[in-house]
Amino acid sequence: MQPRLLPPPTRFPVRRAVVGAAGWVILLGLTAAILIIPAPAGPAPRDRTIRVEASSYAFDPARVEVNRGDRVTLELAAQDVVHGLYLDGYDVRLRAEPGQTARLTFTADRPGTFRMRCSVTCGPLHPFMIGKLSVGANLPMWRGAALAGLAAVFGLWFLRR
Amino acid sequence: MKAELLARLLAVAGIVVPLAGVGVVLAPRLSSGGEAIEIHARVAEEGGWQPSELVVAAGAPIRLRLTSDDVVHGFAVGQSDIQAVEILPGQYTELTVTFDRPGRYAYYCTRWCGAGHWRMRGTIEVVGGELPSTAPQEPLYVALGLDIDAPHLAPEAPGRRPSSVAGAALGVEPPAEMTGRGYYESHTPVQAIESLRAEASLSWMDDQEMWDLVALLWRRNTTAETLETGRELFAQNCAACHGEAGGGDGVMAGSLLTLADGPSATEAPQPADFTSLRSMLGASPALLQGKILRGGMGTGMPYFGPILTEAQIWSLVDYLWTFTMEYEE
Amino acid sequence: MKRLDLLRSPAVASLLRSRWPTLAISLLALAGFVLAIVAGLAGTPVGSRNFGIIAVWIAWWAALILIAVPLLGRGWCSICPLPLPGAWLQRGGVFAPSARRRGLGLRWPRRLRNLWTQNIGFAILAVLSTAILTQPSVSAMVLLGLMAAAVGVSLVFERRAFCSYVCPVGGFIGLYSQVAPLEIRVRDASVCAGHSEKTCYFGSQHGEGCPWQVFPAGLNRNSACGMCFECLRTCPHDNIALRLRPFGSDLPRPAGRRLDEAYKGLLMLASALAYSAVLLGPWGAIKTAAFRVGTPEWAIFAGAFLAAAFIGLPGAFALHVVAGRALGGLRRGLRETVAEFAQALIPLGLAGWAAFSLSFVLSNLSYLWAVLSDPFGAGWNLIGTAAGAWTPYLGGALPALQTGILVCGLAWAASLARRIAARLVGGGTLGGRRRAVALASPVVSFALGVTVLQLWLLIG
Repeated sequence: MQPRLLPPPTRFPVRRAVVGAAGWVILLGLTAAILIIPAPAGPAPRDRTIRVEASSYAFDPARVEVNRGDRVTLELAAQDVVHGLYLDGYDVRLRAEPGQTARLTFTADRPGTFRMRCSVTCGPLHPFMIGKLSVGANLPMWRGAALAGLAAVFGLWFLRR
Repeated sequence: MKAELLARLLAVAGIVVPLAGVGVVLAPRLSSGGEAIEIHARVAEEGGWQPSELVVAAGAPIRLRLTSDDVVHGFAVGQSDIQAVEILPGQYTELTVTFDRPGRYAYYCTRWCGAGHWRMRGTIEVVGGELPSTAPQEPLYVALGLDIDAPHLAPEAPGRRPSSVAGAALGVEPPAEMTGRGYYESHTPVQAIESLRAEASLSWMDDQEMWDLVALLWRRNTTAETLETGRELFAQNCAACHGEAGGGDGVMAGSLLTLADGPSATEAPQPADFTSLRSMLGASPALLQGKILRGGMGTGMPYFGPILTEAQIWSLVDYLWTFTMEYEE
Repeated sequence: MKRLDLLRSPAVASLLRSRWPTLAISLLALAGFVLAIVAGLAGTPVGSRNFGIIAVWIAWWAALILIAVPLLGRGWCSICPLPLPGAWLQRGGVFAPSARRRGLGLRWPRRLRNLWTQNIGFAILAVLSTAILTQPSVSAMVLLGLMAAAVGVSLVFERRAFCSYVCPVGGFIGLYSQVAPLEIRVRDASVCAGHSEKTCYFGSQHGEGCPWQVFPAGLNRNSACGMCFECLRTCPHDNIALRLRPFGSDLPRPAGRRLDEAYKGLLMLASALAYSAVLLGPWGAIKTAAFRVGTPEWAIFAGAFLAAAFIGLPGAFALHVVAGRALGGLRRGLRETVAEFAQALIPLGLAGWAAFSLSFVLSNLSYLWAVLSDPFGAGWNLIGTAAGAWTPYLGGALPALQTGILVCGLAWAASLARRIAARLVGGGTLGGRRRAVALASPVVSFALGVTVLQLWLLIG
């Protein structure tokens, strides 16, 4: 059986243009929806005290989980040498020496997952001493995963030149 | 061929100029103010202070250039009023010190830098000038003939922590011979309470009240300023092993195993628990001072004799009682 | 769309024809390189205060992976200091080639005319990289070793064999340069057909033959061209063009059965994932194991990495290709199909490396200002910035930036996979379009999986 050939375009390819435009509208619409959808309301904010032990080269717990709006008191307890703690996105800085726990209180009002970084040189791997603070659901990551799915589908089906 | 010549000149410059940086770095630093001594701080496991022995002249200002090759360290000279400075990795801290009197001084690290922190010590030999007129005194525990390694468990302990506030509320005057600093330094709380029990005029008091009176005696032999000094010294020097709450469970407690050269692995020494009533009430301030001065003979407890002045050690000792006794704020 | 030929501008043409601009910039790069080695060997062992670490692994690396490769293709190779001493010796002159050539000038062995040496070299550096990136003396010795190898190769083999076949950096720069919006091509191939001397390849009194062993008339993609512009100097017919073009125009193209390039793409992808996990993850035990080269923990880490990079990820990719072949009813050999679809990994890998690099570059760039004042960590303060405190940049915006980069890379990779599938299946018919989608879908889902994994590692 011969493959069915499409009829050659004899005039302006209206159908293709309409499909193309519709595709772009759908793509942009879905992207906007993914970016705008607000986070589901989490549990009521409360006060929390979390002890983070810092040793070369990790934080323990490596991942700190709080709810959005919590008033968080971080206690940094250095285990071997002087360490620091800096929070991406919050500009929070702590410095602790073994035997002298440092404390700082802040309000976790920005949702997402933020990196905790050591802010005092503590050895060769210091720039890579990283932990995580999760405030509520990691909405940026879920949005990113959704956008990735969208990119895969549209790249495969739609964005061909 | 002018282009080739110029190109070769530029190429040589491009290689030689950065190389010249080596010479500038490795050559000894000379400045108009006299030679500077460069000291590199490394954790004890990597060699500690480099160099760890200095010889300088008395009376002359000494310029020190301090840098760290790994983590944050600090520099201070024992038994002196030289202000401690912090040494940041890869950066230089400059310090000018003058020693008026000859002798051997110890310099030490003031920022916890691992399990070997207390071993980071060096000596400065100061020569020339006048020798001090007074010879150093022997420590109190030696004069008293105390064996500071012997166990010092109290035979009994009160039900709650002795409180100097409660003791003051009793409105009782303790026997005069027990109230002086001399008595305080050379007696244990157990000896104090036995003396109190022997006083007929105090026989109406129960055990707890007598303990409170001992706490009052102890509290009266120190001041709020001294306790604050002791608290700071404890936080900087002791809390890492003994715990911020004095319970012998500090973050460094687990690494003492690697430092002890006496006991086997199954008898890992633990830092003293200052919150233990039975342990502390059987110890005298002289014994505590002795432990701090001399160290722990293979248990991992450092010796602070060359590092802290006598006044500093007494303030530490005074502060240690706050873990077992309730002092007023 | 006719591509803009920048060499039509007389100013641009004379600038690029002159040897001075390239020489000046590459001598600056050489000075920086020497300073990095010297600082690494004689300066402070603290990496964050040493020019040898910060200028190389933060500043140069950021400029390379975020700017030079995506925009200029192999442009870095034209000013790279590594081959300079060897090239000067080989061609007998610093400014221009002369008759006093040195070296044996042997041809690079045919069996090694592929990316395998560079794949293995990159893998070796990858398992050592935690130690290299953080210790000035180790980094300096690696740089010194690379330059020594470049000089050695130049004295034995002809042209820039080191750059083409040995340099671990050149391996992936060549692969990713296909993405760039610049290309060097000939203007009119028929002119070349009528030119028998082929001075572009064999050299003339104006310059040497292409050091990259490329025949300009046959140049149809960026991977091998080092943008040195010797061909511009030697072509007597003014037939060389430097064109601006859309991104990624080199892809897709028939890949033949070349698995070495497929492996390069897979290796870079695996490395981006591994580095994201080891260096930017919260697992201190893995970091320490990767750092302590020579210990049993390191051997386990290295073994796991090599297994994942050479067997695990390629195996998973091949399985997806097999599924696609089945779904799309493709009759081509597996090896061919894998080689073809591996091209889709090029924008994916570049995006993965850019997203990974952005994190540690933004958080550590502030060390650069201090290191410019005090390159050796010796207490200098040349430009007054030595006391600057560490300040991470854009920490709050970083997750969004990384997501944007990864998503764009994935969209591009999916689109590329679709075009590759269309070419393989012969799309144009309705049935052909459906088959192309079916053929490409598993590969696209592989790309999606890799992207989501890296997203989780970086911002999860």
